[in-house]
Amino acid sequence: MAILNSEFPPSKDGRFSDNRLLSCRVRVLSSYEALIFIFLLSQLPLSLLKTAQGHPMLVELKNGETYNGHLVNCDTWMNIHLREVICTSKDGDRFWRMPECYIRGNTIKYLRVPDEVGGIKILANLGVTRHGYTCLVTHSMGLLGVIDKVQEETKSRGDRKPPGVGGRGRGRGGRDEGAAGRQAKGIGRGMEDAGAKGRGKGGPGAKSGGKGGGRGRG
Amino acid sequence: MATGLGLESLVDQTISVITNDGRNIVVRHCVAYVANTGLETLYFADFLILFQGVLRGFDQATNLILDESHERVYSTKFAVDVKQDALEGVQQLVLGLYIIRGDNISVVGELDEDLDSNLDMSKLRAHPLKPVVH
Amino acid sequence: MLFFSYFKDMVGREVTVELKNDLAIRGTLHSVDQYLNIKLENTSVVDEDKYPHMRSVRNCFIRGSVVRYVQLPPDGVDIELLHDATRREARGG
Repeated sequence: MAILNSEFPPSKDGRFSDNRLLSCRVRVLSSYEALIFIFLLSQLPLSLLKTAQGHPMLVELKNGETYNGHLVNCDTWMNIHLREVICTSKDGDRFWRMPECYIRGNTIKYLRVPDEVGGIKILANLGVTRHGYTCLVTHSMGLLGVIDKVQEETKSRGDRKPPGVGGRGRGRGGRDEGAAGRQAKGIGRGMEDAGAKGRGKGGPGAKSGGKGGGRGRG
Repeated sequence: MATGLGLESLVDQTISVITNDGRNIVVRHCVAYVANTGLETLYFADFLILFQGVLRGFDQATNLILDESHERVYSTKFAVDVKQDALEGVQQLVLGLYIIRGDNISVVGELDEDLDSNLDMSKLRAHPLKPVVH
Repeated sequence: MLFFSYFKDMVGREVTVELKNDLAIRGTLHSVDQYLNIKLENTSVVDEDKYPHMRSVRNCFIRGSVVRYVQLPPDGVDIELLHDATRREARGG
């Protein structure tokens, strides 16, 4: 692992070019690696849902009613707490507004989440690639930090503080940002920070840290 | 790995999902859709809507993460008799990222590119699927 | 576990799975898991004209909970073996 890492490090500030990302992508998609990514990078429906905390989403129930609101929290049964909710009747002809609501998981038919929530994950897939293999094992949070920067670079440059600044406070990243829209950044920052601290950390530690980051926001 | 689920091989593939309610998991969109295309007169039961997308993840309960989801709208005979041409060119509707709860899922099919490209959707007639009754 | 083991033995055989929505799918049994989820290869829907839903699908995953019947090849049932296995299962072995 260490060999791989030194062979393909991201530069000091964690940037690497898009080209590299793309060329790596091909390698990732071998089935075994893909499997690891799926599970370790939380490509699990409930983890994705967790990632969507603070984001707007649409929940359709089995009875046809839909609920539009911001996800406050969710649990392993898919029970969902929404805020600023608009409920729509099955036929779409009646509407109710409510400050918040709690939905029992087993009544849900599906959830529609904003694309950018998955975007984090997809980029993670891309970024993981070759150097990510190492990162996964040693410090997967660091890896996600890198991905955050790629995003910053390609999309929202100048939108927030320059990348270097984020290295300090994951607590910050988590707490300040609170609500929707900032989520992606919050995660990235938290991860990156943890990665910087604990290089040698194993997979599970890294994972739980990631979750913690998610919760802090809720 | 004892998860046993046969879905690993479908990850990052385009899949087609048949849900328990027989029609589709996104009936509501369908109504809007029908309205948009000036087909208000048609009942949405006259359409068969398949839900497709790229499988990004799943778990033991068959909950799915479906990315780049879209609806495929097939017409049943009623709809075709009435307004065949109105359907043309509007058969796909992009929906985005979905988490689908496993207990709604009947079948997850791997979309075969060849079979799919040879499929003339405008010529298809479909009976609506019955809802699953447990 | 009996049916799980049984279906595992049937892997590679041609079966028809009838679902609780009346859709019947024929194909080669590729795998089965502890929930009796079923994976089929080279699938075809029995009444394809009526149900063209799976026209562009060659391999599919069927959730165990929606299966009504699995039609097996006639020679796929070894009654002696099944009896034995059933007794063993009943004894809690």
